[in-house]
Amino acid sequence: MLTYIVRRLLVGLSVMLTVAVVSFMLLHLSGDLATAIAGPESTAADVEKVRVQYGLDRPITLQFADWLGAALQLDFGRSFYFQNTVMELIGERLPVTLKLGGVALLLAVVVAIPLGVLAAIYRDSWVDRLSLLVAVVGQAMPNFWFALTLILVFSVGLKWLPVAGNTSWQHFVLPAIALGYYAMPSLMRLTRAGMLDVLGSDYIRTARAKGLSPARVVFKHALRNAIIPVMALAAVELGFMLGGSVVIESVYSMQGLGQLAWDSISRNDYPVVQAVVLIIAVFYIGLTFVADVLNAALDPRMRTR
Amino acid sequence: MNAPKDALLLDVKNLRVDLPTERGLLHAVRGIDFQVRRGEMLCLVGESGCGKSMTSLALMGLLPRKAQRSADHIRFDGVDLQGLPEREMNALRGARMAMIFQEPMTSLNPSYTLGDQLCEALRAHRPSTSAQARERAVYLLERAGVPQAADRLRQYPHQLSGGLRQRVMIAMALMCGPDLIIADEPTTALDVTIQAQILRLIRELQREFGTAVVFITHDLGVVARIADRVAVMYAGEIVETAPVAELFAQPSHPYTRGLLSCIPVRGKTLPGSRLQSIPGVVPSLIGAVSGCAFANRCPEVRDACVQTPPRVELNSHHVVRCVAARPSHMYSEAA
Amino acid sequence: MSSTHLIMSAPLPLPPIPAWRRGLRRSLGHRGLVLGSVILGLIALAALFAPWLAPHDPYAQEVTQRMIPPAWYAKGSWEHLLGTDKLGRDYLSRLLYGARVSLFIGLATALISGLIGTTMGVLAGYYGGRVDAVVSYIITTRLALPVVLVALATAALVGGSLKVVIVLLGLLLWDRFAIVTRSATQQLRDAEFIAAAKALGASTPYILLRELLPNLMSALTVVATLEMAHAILLEATLSFLGLGVQPPTPSWGLMVAEGKAYMFFQPWVIVIPGVVLAVLVLGINLVGDGLRDVTAPDGRN
Repeated sequence: MLTYIVRRLLVGLSVMLTVAVVSFMLLHLSGDLATAIAGPESTAADVEKVRVQYGLDRPITLQFADWLGAALQLDFGRSFYFQNTVMELIGERLPVTLKLGGVALLLAVVVAIPLGVLAAIYRDSWVDRLSLLVAVVGQAMPNFWFALTLILVFSVGLKWLPVAGNTSWQHFVLPAIALGYYAMPSLMRLTRAGMLDVLGSDYIRTARAKGLSPARVVFKHALRNAIIPVMALAAVELGFMLGGSVVIESVYSMQGLGQLAWDSISRNDYPVVQAVVLIIAVFYIGLTFVADVLNAALDPRMRTR
Repeated sequence: MNAPKDALLLDVKNLRVDLPTERGLLHAVRGIDFQVRRGEMLCLVGESGCGKSMTSLALMGLLPRKAQRSADHIRFDGVDLQGLPEREMNALRGARMAMIFQEPMTSLNPSYTLGDQLCEALRAHRPSTSAQARERAVYLLERAGVPQAADRLRQYPHQLSGGLRQRVMIAMALMCGPDLIIADEPTTALDVTIQAQILRLIRELQREFGTAVVFITHDLGVVARIADRVAVMYAGEIVETAPVAELFAQPSHPYTRGLLSCIPVRGKTLPGSRLQSIPGVVPSLIGAVSGCAFANRCPEVRDACVQTPPRVELNSHHVVRCVAARPSHMYSEAA
Repeated sequence: MSSTHLIMSAPLPLPPIPAWRRGLRRSLGHRGLVLGSVILGLIALAALFAPWLAPHDPYAQEVTQRMIPPAWYAKGSWEHLLGTDKLGRDYLSRLLYGARVSLFIGLATALISGLIGTTMGVLAGYYGGRVDAVVSYIITTRLALPVVLVALATAALVGGSLKVVIVLLGLLLWDRFAIVTRSATQQLRDAEFIAAAKALGASTPYILLRELLPNLMSALTVVATLEMAHAILLEATLSFLGLGVQPPTPSWGLMVAEGKAYMFFQPWVIVIPGVVLAVLVLGINLVGDGLRDVTAPDGRN
């Protein structure tokens, strides 16, 4: 088990490095950054000045090495648009995004798991079919549209919740729903599949033969064994949510990391963009690492003793 | 227990179990009758697919959802189980009727300690403190021959061998002191050497606690060792019921005779000679089944066998379902 | 042994039904698959015959006809069945032409990413060893990239357009193709028919293309439908944020973006394109799920 963890950790670290390289190259090679920074109205001389000023005339490997060296000390440079350092900006915005992601995942899980359990117990009944329907429809809706529709219905129509901002808990409700709904179907399906699998096993038959109440059979015996893959998937979905927060945060003006990324992209503030891409990738890699360890812990061959 | 020793604990009449399959309705159990007295060991013996496991699940009310069960009555201590609401049935299960399964390796939840699983069997039915439950668990584990019983409570199933796990299952079945235990081939998955130990254990505990046991097996050797009475099952029907000695001495159904002749007997079967087997295969039980199911393999088949075989009582405790029923003497000595 | 015969006579064995007939029967019995195919078929037809079905030119701007609500509202008219947008363009016509954009992008992206992913997956699964290690590493890295952010950042630098979107998404969405074909190839690698082909002296490209690939087809189609839906949603997101298809080309995502400013007073401007998007993606997903159910080995359900 320990060797597995160490091995996965090493792989994760090297992937982080590769992501840094890829995102750096992507930004620097897909267009002329100097022109982008200087702006559409600049002259050739202006562009050259920008190029020298930001060290964009040096070989790319050197630029990357410098950037990486600084990044390892958590120095991502200074934003072009704001006065602050990139790290400060990220520090401000990251908590909002993490809070949003956490609530979104919580909502998704709170709906998905009971629904999946019910769908498994009452297999092929109307509950099962309904939850499958909800899952299928849920995954078809574009998230930006769903976000806007939620605003239309709950903020404008019913006036229950605010539209923009991040100061109170009410501000997080709609964005969390808009961010989390997409993860709900896959979590529900995995819960259902896992439960169906477990409910057919011999030890569940023993539990029933002991005369335990149906609730105890389901929640104590079945769910406990079916839930680990679901938790692993939940970790991965959280990673996706962090990446997908761009759209939701922009629609709801949450001033989180995603919105920072989007604004910076529009403003060609590339130090910020680079840093945010890396940070989100780091979170994703960390979360998939957690998921892998969880799944491995299930494998009886990995169990200690 | 104040009930008279010979009181009828389990009285089953015309039990049927049908399973819808892709190819039609499978008649797994086709109208069987049997009875179990208090403290008695009834062996239900038959080859795989004859419906004995389905019978055990039908008694416990643990059939798969799609299965259809029906009977004239399934009386447990006078109460017809068919009429019971699920909650009351659940109260019976584990408390007065317990079950032991075939696969000890997968019949225990890998995520919980043995102590947890043992104690919950008791506390689900009898209000008791965890200390009381643990005490009873240790007592039963010791009686079941599990060494270092107190330490075992903290261990997990994967830390025990198959034989030990089956002993734990036996202890677990006894936690509430049930009147009846249904054991579905509990020794089949174990090593031969362990099998004998477990069989002996079950017999001893049964006598000590006065529990009635329905012991399901395909092995006549097991039957010879531990049964009080035997019911032979074939293709969803009970073809012969008798006390064990009488069954071995005077098998009256051609199938029973066939089974017994397959067993090599020391002193009679010549070494190196061919083992006997019953020619033919079990007929399909999907769709309408008419007449005697054994007819296509029976050495004594006749025209009357197209009809449902009659129930013949050779004496007060020996019943056969066969037109050709006659007591025969297989062995000059009792088995 | 008595000579009388009795018992139930076993039914005569029936001739086997050809595989494709069984597949068709199963497909028709699968409600999701049928529904999805109908939806997809209708939208595809609408896209194909858009020039004939559309009542107006989707690009024609009529400043006098701005922001007319759909016909069922009080101020609506039957001339513009679904109303007009802020530049006076007929909504229904834009919707029909938008279907072309979505379907085209979905198909093109699925094709490109399918080619990339399948090649990588087959090579990794067939050769194993170092090739597999490299490909698996690339896949893991690609999975760690936040797709939306990377797409946005790149599109911002290169400039958004239909072509850019297709190339970008094609270069980003190949991961599931690679993963599925890799594991399927690994399973088939040691199959008898491959060994037989090798024994007959067939060259590796031949084996991969003519023996292996046809057996991957069912899994590939399932993944292709799912990635098509994925691409359509991503394009809509990109266009919504302004970095995808550029105006005046009608893209459903773009239509939602254009209507966002007016959504509080004229909600239909964003509701309608979103609903159509959802229906299209639903249809594609139903087809994908249905195909997966139908081609899965018996006994899975």
